[in-house]
Parts: sequence; C-alpha cells; structure tokens
Amino acid sequence: MSPLQTFNMGTEFRCPVQPYSRSNYGGVFFMAETEEKTGPPVTLIDPIDMSQLDPKFREEISSMPNGEELSACFACSTCTAACPIANQWNFKPHQLIRMILLGMRTEVLSSKEIWECLTCFECQERCPQKVRVTDIFFDCKNLAAEEGNVPENILVLAKSLIETGQLYEVMNDWEREDLNLEPEVPGLSTEEVKSILKGTRTGRLVGGDE
Amino acid sequence: MNKMPVYNLYMGCSVPANYPNYEAAMTKVAQAFGMDLVYMEGVACCGSPNLRAIDYFGWLVVNARTLAIAEKDGHDIVTPCNGCFGSLKDVLHHLKHDKEDMNRVNKELKASGLQLKGTIKVRHFVEALYSDIGISEIKKKVTKPLDGVGIAIHYGCHLLRPQDVTEFSPETLRELVEATGASVIDYPLWKQCCGATVLPVNEELAIRLARDKLKSMKEAGAVFATVVCPACGNQLDLQQLGLKDTYGEVYDIPVLLYPQILALAMGIDQEEVGLSMNRVAADPILEHLTG
Amino acid sequence: MASPVLIIGAGVAGMTAAVELADNGIKTILIDRQSTIGGNALDLYKAFPTDDCFYCFQGNSWRPGIRKCFYRSAMIDQPNIELMVDTTVKEVSGSPGKFVVNLDVGPNYVDAKKCTMCGLCLELSDAFRLLSPQCQPQAVVFDPNNADDGTKKAAEDCPTKAINLDASPSEKTINVSDIVVATGYHEMQPIAIDEYGYGRIPNVITQLELAKILDPNGATSGALVRPSDGAQVKNLMMIQCVGSRDENYYPFCSKICCVFALKHANIITNERDGAKVSVVYMDIRTYDRHERYYREARESGVEFIRGRIHRVQEQEDSTLDVIVYDSLLDNYLRYNIDLLVLSSALEPPDGAEALMKALGLKSASGYIAPLDSVSENEVIAAEHVYACGTALGPAEVPESVNQARAVVSKILQSRK
Repeated sequence: MSPLQTFNMGTEFRCPVQPYSRSNYGGVFFMAETEEKTGPPVTLIDPIDMSQLDPKFREEISSMPNGEELSACFACSTCTAACPIANQWNFKPHQLIRMILLGMRTEVLSSKEIWECLTCFECQERCPQKVRVTDIFFDCKNLAAEEGNVPENILVLAKSLIETGQLYEVMNDWEREDLNLEPEVPGLSTEEVKSILKGTRTGRLVGGDE
Repeated sequence: MNKMPVYNLYMGCSVPANYPNYEAAMTKVAQAFGMDLVYMEGVACCGSPNLRAIDYFGWLVVNARTLAIAEKDGHDIVTPCNGCFGSLKDVLHHLKHDKEDMNRVNKELKASGLQLKGTIKVRHFVEALYSDIGISEIKKKVTKPLDGVGIAIHYGCHLLRPQDVTEFSPETLRELVEATGASVIDYPLWKQCCGATVLPVNEELAIRLARDKLKSMKEAGAVFATVVCPACGNQLDLQQLGLKDTYGEVYDIPVLLYPQILALAMGIDQEEVGLSMNRVAADPILEHLTG
Repeated sequence: MASPVLIIGAGVAGMTAAVELADNGIKTILIDRQSTIGGNALDLYKAFPTDDCFYCFQGNSWRPGIRKCFYRSAMIDQPNIELMVDTTVKEVSGSPGKFVVNLDVGPNYVDAKKCTMCGLCLELSDAFRLLSPQCQPQAVVFDPNNADDGTKKAAEDCPTKAINLDASPSEKTINVSDIVVATGYHEMQPIAIDEYGYGRIPNVITQLELAKILDPNGATSGALVRPSDGAQVKNLMMIQCVGSRDENYYPFCSKICCVFALKHANIITNERDGAKVSVVYMDIRTYDRHERYYREARESGVEFIRGRIHRVQEQEDSTLDVIVYDSLLDNYLRYNIDLLVLSSALEPPDGAEALMKALGLKSASGYIAPLDSVSENEVIAAEHVYACGTALGPAEVPESVNQARAVVSKILQSRK
C-alpha cells in the first residue's frame, strides 16, 4: 500500500490522504470548496510560521555593539540559571536569545522582559560561549526605543535628561551647606548634556511626546 | 614625601542630590590622606544604564565628553558612584575597541573642541583609596577602630561586572572594610543585584530584590551593611523603611556608605559625615567605635 | 650499540610504550615524577570500556607487564626497562637522534629492591604510605613533609634496612635517541568557578576524587561517604562541563567525562545501595559504543536534568541546598543533597608547557599537537620526539594504548 493514496470524491478534486495511524485520527481529510492548493492538514499543533519571521534579525543584533558572539549560543541555559529574576519571566534569557536567532523580532522587541533586565551582568559573566547577553538586551532595548516603544517611567527619565541635563537635581542645598559642601556642585554644567541628547534619539523620544 | 595625588572627581548627579553625606565623608577621607579630588568642570549626568538602554549613541557621546575633558590634564577620573563608574568604564572600553564608533563620537565632540584618545583611566573612589594610599597607611589613621562588629558588604553589580570591563576585585573593598576594625559578614547573596536599575520599570520587583538582600544579610548575622553607590544605597537604605508596609518586616540594618565608616573610625565627627541623613538610623555604629 | 629511548611519564601510555619497546629488544629509560607509577589511572577503580579494575587493563592482559599484579610485572621482569621514579627532566640538549638529557632524581628514601612491604614502618609513622599491595615499584613511599616521632624508629627497625632517611637528590645525564612524551593530563581544580563552591565547601568534589572514594582499595574501602563528616551519602548530584566547553576556562570538550561520570553513577546506583544520583548536563556525550553507560544509567533510575546550577549553599548540617534551572521543564528545582560532584575539565598537566617549550613541540589548547597536522601522524611531535596517551589530549584507555603502540611502531621502523 503506498503511503499516500488519492481518492476520487466524485468531483474533479483530489486530496492526499495518509493511511490510518494514531497521529492522523484515522485518515481524516479535508475537502476544500475551491480548486485552491491546500497546505498540510491543519491540526491542533499551531506552529510558528517561520516565513513570517525576520531572518535578518540575528544579523541586525550581531552587528550592534557587543553582539558579535550571538550565534555562538548553544542553548546551555547557564544565563537563565544565573539570572536572579528569570523566574518571573515568560521568556527566559536563553529563550530570548533563541528567539533572536530564529528571527522573532516583534515578540522580542515588544516583550516586557528586556526592560525588566536588571543589567546585573551575571548571565554575561557566566556564559561559556562569551555571548554578551546583557549587552544584547541593551541592543534590543535600543531597537525598541527606535520604534518608540519605551516604558513610561523610562521616558520620564529621558525627559529629565533633556530638560535638566541630569536624572537628579540638587533640591536640598541646605543639606549640602550643613556638610560644608558647595550648595551647587562645583563644575556642574548641564547645557552640553542637554544639547547632545536633544540631537540624538533621546531628543526624538521626548520631543515626540510634546 | 610624595606629591599629593590629583584626581578628576566625577560626582554624577545622584550623590550630590541624594547622598551629600557620601560626598562629605568621601572628601573628608580624601583630605586626610592627601588625595586631591578636583571637581571636574563642565560635566553633568552620565545617564546611567537607563540612558544606554534607550539611546546608545547619546550615552556614548555624553560619557565620551566627560572622558575627553579629563584627558586634557590626564589625571585619573575618580567617581563614588557605581552607575557612573560602570558607564564611564563601559563607554571607554567600547570606544577603545570600536574605531568606527570612536570616530563618530569624536566627530560630535569636535564642536566643543574636545577629542577622545582613550588614554584616560577611570577608577572608583574606593579602588583609588586602596591602590594609591594602601591598607597600611589607612590603618595608621584608624584611631577609633570598630570592635569587630559584623558588616555585610553590598558591592553592587556595576562595580564587579563585567569583569573584563570593570577590572575591580572584591578583595579590595573587603580589606578596606576590615581595615576599619569591622569584620566582614559573608552571606550567600553577596553577588546579587539590589534591583536599582529595574525600579522605574517594575517597582515591586525592585522592592523584592532589596528585601532578598537584606534578608540574606540578616540571616548571616550582619549588624550593619555598607554600599559604595547611591542607587544601591537607595535600594537598601530607603527601601528598607518601606518593607515594613509591603512585607511587615523590620530589618533594622543601618546602611552606611563606606567612607562614612572609615571616617568615623578615623575619629572624624559624625556630623561631618552626615550620619543623621542615613534613612535607617545609623547612629548605633557609634557604639561600636573603640579607642 | 644504539642509544636507549627515554619515556617521560609512566602512566598507561608510557608503560605500554616501555614494555613493547623493551620486548622488541630496545632499551628504555622510563621516568616518572611521582614515587609510584600508574599515573592518573592508578586508583580510579573501574576503567571503561571493559569495567576492569584499573590495576589490570584488558588492553594488555596478554602481557602481564602492564598488569600491576603482585607477583609479576614487566617493571621487574623486563631487563630492557630501567624504571626511575621521583625523576624529572631538567634539561634537554643535543640533536634529534642524539639527545642529551639531564635528569633530576629525587632522594631514594626507600630501596625498592629491599622493601618487602611488611608494613612495620606504616604502623610506626604516618610518613610512610603504601598506595596498594599491587603498586610499582613494589615498595612503600616516604614523604619527609609528614615526618613525625615514629619516623626514626621505623627506619631503624626496618628488617631489610631498606630505609635511608638521609638520602639526597641527585642528577643523572643520559644519552637517548628518541624521546617519548607520555605526561598525561590533570583534572582541573575548579576553585575559580565560585558558584559551585569547590575548595570552599568540603562536600563539593571532582569526579576523580569521587572515583578514589569508590575505589575499594581507597581510604574508605569504597564506601560512599561525604568528606565533611564521613556520613553515608544518600543523595548526590553531578554537574557536567565544569570548565570544559567554556571560553572562560577550556573551550574544548574533555571527551571522556560524560562516560566516566555515568560509569560512576552506575556504580553508585547498582553497587552502593540507596544513593540517589542526579546528573545536571548541557549535553550527554557518551560517544560511540559508550552509549551503553547512558542507557544503563537511565534504566537504573539515575535522574537527568538538562540545565545549569543557580546556586549552591552549604547548610549547617553539612548538606547542600542546591537550586538548579531545568531547561526542559523551564523551571527552577530545589534539591537537598549530601555530595556535589563536578565533572571538571581535563587540562594539560603542570610542567607540560615548560617541557613542550624545551622540546620545541607545538601546542593544541596546551596539549601536544602533532608536528604535521595534515599527515595524521598524530604521535609524531617533532623529529625523534613522540607523544602518546592523554599528553595529546583527553582520551580513553584503548586509545592511549593504541597511540603508544603507534609510537613503538614508528621507533622500530626508524631503527630498521
């Protein structure tokens, strides 16, 4: 018996049928109402459609700062084992790297995970393939920011940098005076920082908000 | 007698605004050892890892500028903040290994008449203290050593990692703490992050991380904790007060910035190091000073 | 009269080469820096792939020379072998085919020809040790660092006057035609990989240390007890790839540690009842016919966890609290175990670098690389210099033996 039999259904339509086996529910087959060419039978497995992914994503990340060793990852999961908070994540660090390698650009860049990275570098320190995991997550955050996807509170920090050139401004200068320190930090000059950041992505992120 | 070592002091924005007690203690200690900390001219914030996350190039330029300014007189940059230390070290490391980015950055700096060569050294204040002054000189000035009370050290992630960038070894801070007469308490989570970076994004997570650290310290028998970074200080000191509301837990572990401890052990008055500004009341440390 | 062949290292490979050269009429000088020969393989209980006790190698059972049998040994029987223990190479000069080698010979505290292994000195002083009744040379070993009050009496009372406490080191210069490097490997002590706590926590050991515990001839007569307090081990965990396949330490795979880890797991599960074994791995590399160790381990109930360690913490009762990430389950697991065994990287031995430099040999990750990598003559390290056994890199016993035989073949051909 040949593995694939075609049945003449009385119409011009033919569809391939597989012989009975546990995995195909006893030869269930589908009839299409048109002459359209069908793909493989639709089943409960809902696979990720590889043709929808971005095969250039891994090159994109590899070419960003410290992304060179990305493809050296052999999925040992040491990064995930080392991470203090990965237990809170849907996508663990080694899974995020896998997602980058497969090309799941949207899922990675829109994940909450990359923003919750503590930047503690423990994963990067322990990786046996010297994949700079934390640095790669920084690259992902930059790409997400480029598309305007930045958590609200980070945007607040960005605004502070654009408007004051600092994340924190001296408010309680009397505290400084009590300690015999200059109330204003000697040498502090915020103009240059403000103007630099106005001209880079920070400026665009904050500017777009106004 | 050796010339007074001169340093380009980079304060960042957090220490001056939130931890002037750290700044005061550090400058007092530096003075006592003849370290000339010269506040850098024309600098401001480093952006912290959060700037790096959203605007890599902007972060490079802002920090390259600081480095280039210091390169003019060539004196080592010294900073008391792990975040600034990490940023400056990281940027310097990256630009030294990436010619293209170095050129792009220098193009931006040209307008202000600055150019970065990458010859400057960036150091954390405690490492400069350890390497340039040395433990034996420090011990000589410790006239009121602590009585061996247990202090847990929280080093902070950006001081220790990535090793190839920070080049800082934990023994440095350990010996510095021991030099004050305290005993260092080993606790299992000594390397773990305090959670500062994730505070803006997920406050609950940050609080939980702070709690895990304090819990581990307490279980190991620490009476005090010490940090060398305002962000870590914020997590362990200020957040400690909030833990009573969130978890109903009281840890009662005063958190001191290392120079405060050293200054007190050197006989410097508690008011000069702003001990009253520490959020969890830190005056119990005075009871442990001897001599 | 042709010059002898110098063989540096009296482990599996070195001894095989020595015996086969000697049996073919070639004089060999076999040196080893330890006091007892046998190298790494000496006290590791069972050898794969035959599971014979290491003291007897199936690979050489036809020739009792390698079998360190009590009564017969080529080390004693074969006059063409001159065995020198406590000996190292100081300097090599001359030219290929006409080497002049200066040897540093350690003090001959115990005359192997006189010692009858009666055991009297062992009772009187801790400075004397007998590794096994089957050891070669057939003599006790004296360590001056452990000299105590009983040492002098032991020397005086020795019935055959075999002990000379005043022995001093000496030098010897030899002329040899060929040099065979069989210096073996060393098991890395992974102190620097601090997440495991090796060196800090007594119940964290390496695989070779475990093998020594399991050896019925060892300190505990083979009982699986933990170093901290000698208590019975009921649960243990093995971690694969510690320092191997790691760009921070050794990028290569150490090849045989998956096999011997599972060999140990099977011994423990089948021969030491009640002990539960978990193996934490990235990949299981029981290559070739050694797959059977993996199959047997699964069937015996050994647990396999694909993942890595998060944290190891010593408890007050000496047990270890371990958190491991299981990458297949995508969850963190917590264990309480008695013993943590690290399958540590197999690195080049101490002194290898200096010796290789002195002989002008090429290096592959610190091990000896063949002179001509294209020719597949992997045992030819330089002109008239050969290498065999784990000096070339981690290898199983049959491989080491085959390489030694290849060296013998080359030397014999060169003398035709």
